[in-house]
Amino acid sequence: MKSTPFNLVMSALYNGKKGARPPAGNATSIVCHDLMDASGVSFPQAHVDANAMAELALAGHETIGFDTVMPEYSVHQEAAALGCEVDWGSRDQMPDSRNFPYADFSDVVVPENILEKPSMRVVLDAISILRRHVGGKAAIVGKVMGPWTLAYHMAGTQNLLLHVGLGEKDKINKMLRRLMPVTTAFARAQFQAGADIVVLADHATGNLVGPYHYKEYLLPIHQEMTATIEGPLILHVCGNCTDRLELFADAGFDGYHFEWQVDAKAAVERIGHRMCLVGNVNNAQTLFQGSPEDVRKQARYAVEAGVSIIAPECAIPLSTPMDNLKALVAAVHEGY
Amino acid sequence: MSDRIATIKKAIVEGKHTEIETMVREAIGDKTDLDILINEALIGAMDIVGKMFAAGEIFVPEMLVSAATMKKGLALIKPLLTGDGPQSKGAILILTVKGDLHDIGKNLVTIMLEGAGFNVLDLGVDLSAEKVISKVEELKPDILALSALLTTTMPEMEKVIKALESRGLRDGVKVMVGGAPVDSKFADKIGADGYGKDAGEAVQLAKTFLHLS
Repeated sequence: MKSTPFNLVMSALYNGKKGARPPAGNATSIVCHDLMDASGVSFPQAHVDANAMAELALAGHETIGFDTVMPEYSVHQEAAALGCEVDWGSRDQMPDSRNFPYADFSDVVVPENILEKPSMRVVLDAISILRRHVGGKAAIVGKVMGPWTLAYHMAGTQNLLLHVGLGEKDKINKMLRRLMPVTTAFARAQFQAGADIVVLADHATGNLVGPYHYKEYLLPIHQEMTATIEGPLILHVCGNCTDRLELFADAGFDGYHFEWQVDAKAAVERIGHRMCLVGNVNNAQTLFQGSPEDVRKQARYAVEAGVSIIAPECAIPLSTPMDNLKALVAAVHEGY
Repeated sequence: MSDRIATIKKAIVEGKHTEIETMVREAIGDKTDLDILINEALIGAMDIVGKMFAAGEIFVPEMLVSAATMKKGLALIKPLLTGDGPQSKGAILILTVKGDLHDIGKNLVTIMLEGAGFNVLDLGVDLSAEKVISKVEELKPDILALSALLTTTMPEMEKVIKALESRGLRDGVKVMVGGAPVDSKFADKIGADGYGKDAGEAVQLAKTFLHLS
């Protein structure tokens, strides 16, 4: 197998043949100020213009050396299409929604033409642009928000969690089931547009909900989605999810993108034979505030633990020094 | 009487929000000492909830319902208190710093601090340093609690502390910081008095600041 970026990532996804080195990939945004300056493309333009979005993603591969290109930087593409007022932010601030249109848990109205909404279209067009540039050379990674994350956007995080606590199962399940087709449709469309892999981010994070909440509400939905979406899927759930790793494997995802709080060795031991593990270099203390040597140490720990694709743990802080991202890439170039 | 205290405490821990009002009314009807009711049943229950959360036995949904249950019970007791109300352990201003809209962590800390008997004023999100200073000058809290979820907004915490220093207010207030990207090293670097990694630690820190534990 030639050790091209594409081959290394796709082989790692199914724990297949190893090449000369592990791949460095990103399941979440690696955009920082240094990358914006190097590429000449900045936020917020890269959230709303397909060419800018693609250009910045390409820079992650060409300038920093990641083996992937991932053109979605925020978590608000679907939310905007579903009626949230999204502030697309600035060079220094990531996008955020200003309202919760279904705080009363009324039936979510999903527009028939949701894939044509600007915030969805821009991602699909950016993926197609990237296909023309790096198709077969670097792995093109799409991203969709799962129904749980979308429910946070629709109803408000604290409001949703309160209803979970109150045992309002019918209301919550109804909302999740109305949102599930949005995730499925967007994932399928991204594969059709040219994505090689799609990350499904669903923030049933260990900092907020328990494994029993995931099992009750989200596991059945994830199992349905993984059974029907053709194409490789990587689950992203933030926070310390050590207590629910096997559930994620049971959900049928091909990979799991995880945070530093989950020990890499433990994760590999428990589910490494069932899923491709992607991660897990720490953002706040290491990539943002640490030195290149700090980054190298964590990346090598993950490599030696058997993590398949080495990555930052989550979307990186905007002021992360590019040298630290390059240190992650350099660490994988040391080989196995 | 102690049965009623134990029952109410258990009801709050278990989030029995539809039953709590009847239980509290019965306790009041039985002439239960109101301070004991608040301190042992209500605050005591939230102390247990905090420990269970820290131990990973329960999560945010359960905590929110327990807090709502406690508040329902407290709402029946408060109007009956004579004097200035329940003895507050201390006054705390809490907020999320400028540029940051995240509030769930801050809200959980508020719930647990109130549950522990502190008087908490939540100033909301996206507060500039100038706004924070003017509130500290006006309200003279014992503790200022700053929250940030983004690495881009963490520097605002240092701005607030420096502004307190330049206005001669720093010595009059204890500053605690928290939020996902924050750690004790950062807290020390910016001159905060303490860091809490979760709501439970924030409560402990507040008690330590005011020599209550």
